[in-house]
Amino acid sequence: MADETKNTITRTRSWLYTLRTIFAREFKSFLCTPFGWVILACAIAMQGFWLQAALQTMSKATGESVMFYMLDNVNFWFFFIFIFPLITMRSLAEEESHGTLEGLLTAPVTTTQIVLGKYLAALLFYVILWLPMLLYPAMSDLANLYTNIRYGVMPEGRINYTPADWFGSISILFISGTFFISLGIFCSSLTRSQIIAGIVCTCAIIIYYFMGRVPELWGEFPAAPAFHYMSISEQIRAFSRGLIDTRPVVLYLTLSMLMLGLTKRIVDYRRWHR
Amino acid sequence: MRNAEFSASVCQQTRIRLKWPEKLLKCLALMSMVTVEHLHKVFGRFTAVKDATFSIEKGEIVGFLGPNGAGKTTTMKMLTGYLPPTAGTASIAGYDIIDQPLEARRHLGYMPENVPLYDDMRVMQYLEYRAMLKGICGKAVRQQVGWVIDRCGLEPKRKNLISTLSKGYRQRVGLADALLGDPDLLILDEPTNGLDPNQIRQIRELVRSLAEEHTVILSTHILSEVEMICNKVIIIDQGQIKANDTPGNLTRNLRAAGRVSIEFKGDLDTVVRELEAFEPVKKVIVEAPLPGGWHHVIVRAEPGTDTREKAAAIIASHQFPMRHIYRHIPSLEDVFVEMTRKD
Repeated sequence: MADETKNTITRTRSWLYTLRTIFAREFKSFLCTPFGWVILACAIAMQGFWLQAALQTMSKATGESVMFYMLDNVNFWFFFIFIFPLITMRSLAEEESHGTLEGLLTAPVTTTQIVLGKYLAALLFYVILWLPMLLYPAMSDLANLYTNIRYGVMPEGRINYTPADWFGSISILFISGTFFISLGIFCSSLTRSQIIAGIVCTCAIIIYYFMGRVPELWGEFPAAPAFHYMSISEQIRAFSRGLIDTRPVVLYLTLSMLMLGLTKRIVDYRRWHR
Repeated sequence: MRNAEFSASVCQQTRIRLKWPEKLLKCLALMSMVTVEHLHKVFGRFTAVKDATFSIEKGEIVGFLGPNGAGKTTTMKMLTGYLPPTAGTASIAGYDIIDQPLEARRHLGYMPENVPLYDDMRVMQYLEYRAMLKGICGKAVRQQVGWVIDRCGLEPKRKNLISTLSKGYRQRVGLADALLGDPDLLILDEPTNGLDPNQIRQIRELVRSLAEEHTVILSTHILSEVEMICNKVIIIDQGQIKANDTPGNLTRNLRAAGRVSIEFKGDLDTVVRELEAFEPVKKVIVEAPLPGGWHHVIVRAEPGTDTREKAAAIIASHQFPMRHIYRHIPSLEDVFVEMTRKD
């Protein structure tokens, strides 16, 4: 029996195969537990709430697109800041506290594969949260059609959007998400307690957000361009108007690579200097 | 492998062409499944493992014994590559655990203490995931999982959530995980901890049946278990390796090994004098007299000698009645106590 099985085991040394295995488990753990569905339900409820708030604003001031009003909105920030710690606080802290990291790291798996697998799974889950947004152009068209039929053609009653600001909004949400998710994974690697990981991540994102608003408080001083450069609220305002800029893309991609590199270091460090 | 490289570099430096010793060392490194050289682990100020050196040959079942906190788990974790050693090196199947960790881990199945598992997965699902992590792919995944489920008696629980499993079944899932991919070396950290006697027996049978094609290192507190299944024992205390031998050799060389206890009636002094005159006897200890005028003496002799015949002859020569003569059979427990005693 043993000899038979020994002969027929097909093995692979593919780096991507292991990465895919970890990624698939992580992603399934979002969808196969109540945890992921609770986040999804909250996210969709929040999205409905601030879509309604955006339409209210629009009825008073027309001119900008619906995307701009949706993302330049207090309700949006309330949601946006807390979604990342919720998604990522579990990932490495839970492995550490349950001791399952030991099982992972005694299998032929590298730390990079673990960190990257978890990161990609969390990122994909984050993308799923925004899927309802793909429907907004269709919904706007439908609403416009209904207004036209009901009240006749009137430009001030139209819900404005263009493909550019729709695409811009989705891309800034994705690009800044790559960084905030990696920041969350990094915070999760620092501790074995999910709650501490969540609090640290929330604080980090809030600090990052207010760094971008420093010029509003202090006025334009010599270092102000640096704060403008990292201002997530300004970036979102620009992108949701359809002004797509490559500087935030570079910023967030490099920052997320930095965070993932640091996470790998931290996981190794915690194992080596116990 | 390190040895071979080291000797090669020495050869180059001294410009002596030593082909044979080099080859011999390489062969030795390949033959033994585990080679541990001067392994050292320090946690802050606490030294958990001090200068551990041993090697384990292919096909051996090694029992790792020691009191709580002796460094068993630390040594095992270092072997798996999870904890890096502070100094020293180890290799598994010829692969260094620091330089070629992935290659070493491919030859290794590890069952950690307390068996951490993902509670939100089902048994089958978990084992399939672990099999894939170990690089098994295609149809072999199902086949391997089926095989370990069969072997560990997990068939009735294959669809259960891991969080609903009892301790015994969790332990089996851990063991099944270690067996996936048919690794050459199994490291089991207290595999029978917290199981009932029937389950312990099943696991013991399983480990014994594995020994045919695997090398097994297991740590345990249950000494009778080691006596039953292991053909080599490593005793570790306060981070130091105290003994590394077969159970037979260990018990043979024990102080308690040659001890004989005798109960007789008659002149105590004569008997003690004559017994002490006999060559292998080191000391005769007179115990408290028993009711009915019986004397009780314990004869301590060189390990590996049998003084029963001579002692009986001495007592018989005086025609004293004797009702009990017994040579103490040392167990692993005696060895363990003697090696790890604090006094």
